[in-house]
Amino acid sequence: MGTATYLASDAKLPYCRGCGHALVVRQLSHALERLALPPGSVALTTDIGCVGLADSLFPYLHTVHTTHGRSTAMATGMALADAVLPAPGLKPIVMIGDGGAMIGLLHLVHAAQLNVDVTVLVHNNFLFGMTGGQHSAFTPLNWITATTPQGNWIPPLDLLALLRTAHAGFLARQFATDSYLDAVIADAIAFPGFSLVEILEICTGYGTRNKATGNALRGVASRQGYSIGRMEAEQERPTFGALYRHEMESRPPKKPAPGIPKLTAKGKLASPLHIVIAGTAGERVQSSAALLCRVALSVGLYSTQKNDNPVTQGSGFSLSEICLSPQPIGYTGMESVDVGIVVSQDGWDELRANGTLAKFTPKTLLLLDAELEISSLTGRLLRQPFRREATPKRAALAAVAFWLGLEPVVPGAAWDAVVASLPVERREDVSTALRVGKDLATHGS
Amino acid sequence: MVAEGALAAGCRFFAGYPITPASEIYEVMMRDLVAQGGLALSAPDEISSLCYCVGASLRGLKAMTATSGPGWALMAETVQYALMTETPVVIALVQRLGPSTGGATQGAQGDIFLAEFATSGGYTIPVFAPSNAAECYELAQQAFNWSERLRSPVVLLSDKEVGMTTEVVEEAALARLSPVERTSVAAEARLAAYDIERPEEVPAFAPVGGGVKVTVTGSAHDRRGRLRKVSPEVVEMLLHLQRKIEAHATEMALVRTDLDPDASCLLLSYGITARAAREAAGLLRKEGFPISFLQIQTLFPVPTEALHSASAGIHTVFVAEENLGGQYRTVLAPWLADKRVVGINKIGSMISPGDIVRAIVGARV
Repeated sequence: MGTATYLASDAKLPYCRGCGHALVVRQLSHALERLALPPGSVALTTDIGCVGLADSLFPYLHTVHTTHGRSTAMATGMALADAVLPAPGLKPIVMIGDGGAMIGLLHLVHAAQLNVDVTVLVHNNFLFGMTGGQHSAFTPLNWITATTPQGNWIPPLDLLALLRTAHAGFLARQFATDSYLDAVIADAIAFPGFSLVEILEICTGYGTRNKATGNALRGVASRQGYSIGRMEAEQERPTFGALYRHEMESRPPKKPAPGIPKLTAKGKLASPLHIVIAGTAGERVQSSAALLCRVALSVGLYSTQKNDNPVTQGSGFSLSEICLSPQPIGYTGMESVDVGIVVSQDGWDELRANGTLAKFTPKTLLLLDAELEISSLTGRLLRQPFRREATPKRAALAAVAFWLGLEPVVPGAAWDAVVASLPVERREDVSTALRVGKDLATHGS
Repeated sequence: MVAEGALAAGCRFFAGYPITPASEIYEVMMRDLVAQGGLALSAPDEISSLCYCVGASLRGLKAMTATSGPGWALMAETVQYALMTETPVVIALVQRLGPSTGGATQGAQGDIFLAEFATSGGYTIPVFAPSNAAECYELAQQAFNWSERLRSPVVLLSDKEVGMTTEVVEEAALARLSPVERTSVAAEARLAAYDIERPEEVPAFAPVGGGVKVTVTGSAHDRRGRLRKVSPEVVEMLLHLQRKIEAHATEMALVRTDLDPDASCLLLSYGITARAAREAAGLLRKEGFPISFLQIQTLFPVPTEALHSASAGIHTVFVAEENLGGQYRTVLAPWLADKRVVGINKIGSMISPGDIVRAIVGARV
């Protein structure tokens, strides 16, 4: 798919007479000629608006015409994927208007942060041309547009200043009429990371009513404090591709997940058992529940575990609903609770609030911390000082061990094997909690 | 297990944004995808997530994102773009209670319409609905394979209760499918076109950045991918988008059946509620109430043949799902026009086997 020219030699440019888009299209073609890039390595990604018509003018480049504002994000996706491939080298070039830059602003910011090898040409003609000359985030103050008939009173964005704060490495602002625009565009494309050239133009259809043609455009730019030319960049930083390759090479190999010992001993369970463990966030309620499930698994039982806590994660209640079963588990909810373990007031209050108390039956075994203030309840009640004897962070596990001391659903050997499979730093803590619970079950407090 | 299934299917690109209850998939992909020679990335919003995936897929990588209802709402634009441009991509949609931000940690099956009818024009997006961790693994692979084969976005529709419940999975019993790769355009071709002889054919793919010139547009286009106003050729291309899915409907149909030849009732469900429904069918049979059970895994295209055979000789069909109004029941209604169709619906918590048994007994069939 090689060719000497990038812009089709017979291309009829579909723009209004005098429109800056035509100048940019030609300058882009010159820039590609300067760089002599193979057409197959360029992905011309165009946005919605008159600027989006450019893709059909470049018959040899890959062209991707996208939805409004998303051209930068799609091009970023291509560049990201390219970085993963064995022979990267794709040059996505985005052609977008000021409207597309506005609706897709976050995509520009993130592409700059990532420093992906994407070049964006923002055709800023200060308004929406294709749809009838409406105001954009780039419209100068006092401009008359279809939607600001009395003059615009919202200050325009300075895109370059904004993207500088996102650490963009190559930023330039030019006029479409600049004779050397092709050289600037070529530099931007050659730049290995994110680059953006904002090209100031006049929409001959709707912008001219603001008398900003010719040199007056320079006045518009200067009144807005827009610097022209390449903006000085902060210190050069690695491209996304370089960082990715570094990550690939330096990432330690994946640690295998701790295995679950398979024991010959079997859990003693004839039918499914529904357990709820409730306590306070940060007090290892859910990890204690997970440990119980691991132990159950090691002796051939099936389990499901569902956790709940407030959205803040680290405050208020924390609870786990567990089902242990000798057969695969279908329905994972509980129509009634067999064992309720509650080790803090937060946990108790939540069980009342979420309706779990209503699922307690006279058969429910309730293990509550001695400190809890409770009123009426249904079930067989046992109160023990789990928090005091084991510490609040070990209370849930101690209560589980206490329960299993009374109802040995899983053999003690299973706990020993699972504790031994834990990372060294967790073992002592877990063993202590288990011992306290067992002692309470054997001797009482 | 969605993430594990995606990795098994050859996923090499993931872009995500945190949202309960889909964040686990995002975290696993961030942890494991680089080690597999792929790339997982945090996007600044869900619009970007899916755009990055589509861009990566256009470059030739198998790509996925994961989200929940609020994020899916933002992705609707790009799902349509993927459909129109025939770009393979998988979206794991883990449902939660809606509307709006709803309940982040409450399950629901309320996004059936949102998932399937997200496109203007009524095009079919394949949707697979797993009911447990093992099915997440299997259907994630199915989603990838069909996405690649059909060059289409595919939705893997689970919910909080499937996605955030830790459960035992029997490794030996996990389905392991052979990964399907998209058909490539011949290397000597000059340009990649939607060159198909029959509307149901899937055009061969060429990556942006390869040696074959690619033209992509989300606008109505001709066979060469060039933006065109509506013409007979453009209409033909639009029809093709639907025909290629319909032509594979039978092959895509995945169901689990447990039929009773003496039954005059059929209990039908999908996703998390299928687990309660299966138990409910067992309870009813123990009580001497013959009933057939059908779990639908391929929600779309609707598995009509399985539906017909499961409902042959059936008088009443119960459809259990965790949403108001019975979204999937509404979809199925045209195929069940000669039956009595009863919805079993609930929101705010899972439908239990007891709920289903009570509803069926109360319906006095």
